[in-house]
Amino acid sequence: MMFWRLVLQLLRGNRGRLAVAIVAIVSGAAVISALLNLDLGVQNKLTQEFRTLGANIVISPASGAPAHISDAEVPSLMPEHDVLEVMQQLPPTQVAAAAPYLYIVARAQNIPVVVAGTWLDQAQKLDATWKLEGSWITSRADDSHCLVGRNVARRLHLAVGNPLELHYLERSAQCSVAGIVDAGGAEDNQVFATLRAVQSLANLPGQIGVAQVSVTGTAPVVADYAARLATALPQYQVRPIRQVAEAEGALLGRIRLLIVSMALLILILTALCVLGTMAALAMERRKDVGLMKSLGGSISRIVGIFLAEVGVLGAAGGLLGAIIGAALSYWMGLRVFGTAISPRWEVFPTTIVLMIVVALAGALPLRMLGNVKPAEILRGE
Amino acid sequence: MATVVQVENLRKEFGNVRALDGVSFRVDAGEWIAIMGPSGSGKTTLINILGGLDTPTSGQAAVDGTDVARLDEAGLTRFRAEKIGFIFQQFHLVPYLTAVENVMLAQYFHSTTDEKEAQQSLERVGLGDRIEHLPAQLSGGEQQRVAVARALINHPKLILADEPTGNLDEANEDIVLSLLRELHTEGHTILMVTHAPSIGRLADRRIEFAHGRLVQAAATSLKPELA
Amino acid sequence: MFARLLGESFARNPRRKVLTAAALVIGMAVTTATLTIALEVGDRLAREFRSLGANLLVTPESDTLPVEIGGVDYRPVDEGAYLNEADLGKLKTIFWRHNILGFTPFLDLPAYVSETGGATTLIGTWYQHEVPVPDGTKFETGASATHPWWKVQGRWFGDGADECVVGAGLAQKNPAAFAIGKAIHVAQNSGSGSGRPLLITGIISTGDAEDNAVLLPLSVAQEISGHPGKFRQLFVSALTKPADALAERGERAQTDKNIQLTPTEYDRWFCSPYISSIGFQIRTVLPGTDVHAIRRVAETEGRILTRVGTLLWIVTLAALGAAALAVAATSATTVLERRAEIGVMKALGASNALVGGIFLAEQVLLAIAGGAVGFFVGVGMARFLGESVFGTPASPQLILFPVVLALAALIAMIGSLVPLRRAAHFRPAVILRGE
Repeated sequence: MMFWRLVLQLLRGNRGRLAVAIVAIVSGAAVISALLNLDLGVQNKLTQEFRTLGANIVISPASGAPAHISDAEVPSLMPEHDVLEVMQQLPPTQVAAAAPYLYIVARAQNIPVVVAGTWLDQAQKLDATWKLEGSWITSRADDSHCLVGRNVARRLHLAVGNPLELHYLERSAQCSVAGIVDAGGAEDNQVFATLRAVQSLANLPGQIGVAQVSVTGTAPVVADYAARLATALPQYQVRPIRQVAEAEGALLGRIRLLIVSMALLILILTALCVLGTMAALAMERRKDVGLMKSLGGSISRIVGIFLAEVGVLGAAGGLLGAIIGAALSYWMGLRVFGTAISPRWEVFPTTIVLMIVVALAGALPLRMLGNVKPAEILRGE
Repeated sequence: MATVVQVENLRKEFGNVRALDGVSFRVDAGEWIAIMGPSGSGKTTLINILGGLDTPTSGQAAVDGTDVARLDEAGLTRFRAEKIGFIFQQFHLVPYLTAVENVMLAQYFHSTTDEKEAQQSLERVGLGDRIEHLPAQLSGGEQQRVAVARALINHPKLILADEPTGNLDEANEDIVLSLLRELHTEGHTILMVTHAPSIGRLADRRIEFAHGRLVQAAATSLKPELA
Repeated sequence: MFARLLGESFARNPRRKVLTAAALVIGMAVTTATLTIALEVGDRLAREFRSLGANLLVTPESDTLPVEIGGVDYRPVDEGAYLNEADLGKLKTIFWRHNILGFTPFLDLPAYVSETGGATTLIGTWYQHEVPVPDGTKFETGASATHPWWKVQGRWFGDGADECVVGAGLAQKNPAAFAIGKAIHVAQNSGSGSGRPLLITGIISTGDAEDNAVLLPLSVAQEISGHPGKFRQLFVSALTKPADALAERGERAQTDKNIQLTPTEYDRWFCSPYISSIGFQIRTVLPGTDVHAIRRVAETEGRILTRVGTLLWIVTLAALGAAALAVAATSATTVLERRAEIGVMKALGASNALVGGIFLAEQVLLAIAGGAVGFFVGVGMARFLGESVFGTPASPQLILFPVVLALAALIAMIGSLVPLRRAAHFRPAVILRGE
């Protein structure tokens, strides 16, 4: 008890001297805890941002291309039912979007044109960067509307609201252009309609050519889901789309590394501040150490009191800083990503422990006080 | 009479300087010895060695039968806690501890703390109403009285006082000196360093130092010389 | 006299000075390192994003509609417009030529491969090809730059060689015929004889349409299709700056006649590596083309870069704050613990201004010296950090040198002022008594 009484009195009596160290520890802890909170939040947010790159898993029939070259050939197909049922088994929180596609090459105004039948509400989520002039088709049952790519619109002289007639083999269908798509890719050359409408035009009810899935998560998570789907659908090909997963992984890695490096630098600087304060403090405490030694205090006991003092400083400062840091990360999440990042409880003990370590590291001068020779000190200058 | 201090041929060198050059003397229980001499004569070095704050280069220095020259660091630490009570010229109270806490500090390093006992020791030196004061709130004399209470709390075999009134004004000096006289009457063994002859005359015996050596040991008129 | 006092002040208590110096050096080193990286990080991250591949697509302006599924064009060779391969060197002559990291032309043609017994798509392209640039140099580029996730088992075809890489889908269907080391025979159609033999050097798996196609050198595809020196579409990977309001105006001004940029706006837009201005410059040197941003890549990149950039600047500021605190604290504690000296000087009759002046000058000089050394240490730290995070060391930004020195002096001054002001009120007697 006397021990803790001594520690407390030390802290109270030296408030002014310790001010700099306290400020350093609290601000260091605030920054570290903010960064730690952000780290996972940043990963999650960025992973979500990356979803706008499109699908990262594709399911296709084992044999052949998912499309054909002339409208005389039948595309390779999979039954819609099979595939979609399995996809339901994926946890909905992880699936950002999933859509079946059926591609056929039909003719419009006697020109071959790629027609993609899909669930447009999902397609919109899969390819969130499409710019649309006009309006989306939100219902999967809306057979009367279609979307056309900007090149199709240009070539066929179509505007929003115009009718479009599509011919496939001996069959034909009509739809009204609801919107014009600007995607900056293959979609600019395609026509989009509901899956049902295209299946009906091609007389391929219940069949699809490919399914695209966008799963939230880092590369290993995506690979895991792909593997799961592959086991559940052994008769089909399930593959992760490498373009996205790899770049994403590398980028996230770099950003995290950068943040960790900065955090480390800040820790070093905090230790430095503490060191500076402690060095000044140590100078003033030499007399006290000499006195305590003369009273029969051993080096380990005396240094122990000082280290406990520093440890309490680190813990208290760490706690306060962690709280401030939690608020900071919340604010930064809002500012940078537009959504709040909620603090994680693990960050609190981690920050406190880190700050105790930093404080003890900076307390080296106090540890060296153990070597003070009482005779020299007590003599008086 | 029990011998509290036995010093044989004590030498202490700091590099080329001989602070103590073969000193021998004896102190019996209950004696109040004044160690006198000009500055640089080695008296503080002697006190430091007897108090276990410093180790001699050669020779013997036994306090209550323990030769400090032979003690290791741990042994010296225990020795300081158990056998010695120090009173310094500059008081050396811990500035952020109250009076009673300063006394309890000595208890802490000895064994266990007993706040009641510490309070009583402060009452004994007339500071019963200053127990919770910080040193900054006490006068010089009061601080030194706290130091005396601290020196006594563990019932030391030997009290070492280094110019105990050097930093005090006349009034406070009187208070502290009469306190020392009381301790002497109670039978404590006191070794006091002083440069003032008037203070030296209060002791039973005076030992004079010069250039690290004993010059003479003189009795005062207040106590008969001990064989 | 002032200088003498200063000099003597410096010479005293060297150990304390070492600690102070260490704090200053490390504090300013961290400042230098974080600022160096912060200045470059936008650029480096943008480079990282190039691993997502091309962000611009160039196609013939007056073209028939590509029959494109999964990125592969299934049109017959005689249909549709072509672009000239010979023009491609001009891409490295535009204002932002150094931001053009790579480009790859594609010529897709339906052909007949004996080993499949049917129609198979050939994709003619470059993997690594040297393009002659009008200024006499050569620029090496190809799918290695614009499609970095294209990895093959085995190796890629040699430029212009009779070699090819087959898709994993084909290999799976007919592993005996489509294996590395085997030769396949391709012809434009089934009637054109035995076909041209191509050595399979690798197998590719992308998850996209390439898995069921044969990739071969552009020149070979051109010969088979009968269209030498031509290609259908070009993918370009450009280092760009995220789009902001000006970029959007510039982009819309291309198509919308109602939107005009003022001359200064135009200059700023042209001289910023926005994807719209780079696209505009490409269209200028390749007439008759439609240059369009690949939205998926460009916009994702822009958005993430902006966000991450903001985040990193906040972190940088935090690090700078910590450094400033360290330096200020060092100055403050130095002044604090030398109260005795201040007391002595005042007791000797020195005025507050003189005492303050000496200490301030000392701290500022020390800070500048520490800042100078810290700069070089910081440059080293930045190099190391750049290397470990991005793979290439960060280059020193010399402009930071005066900035760092000025910062050090300023922080030391501010840090010393507070305790010096307090010291101005010290009574010498109090200090000298040792309280």
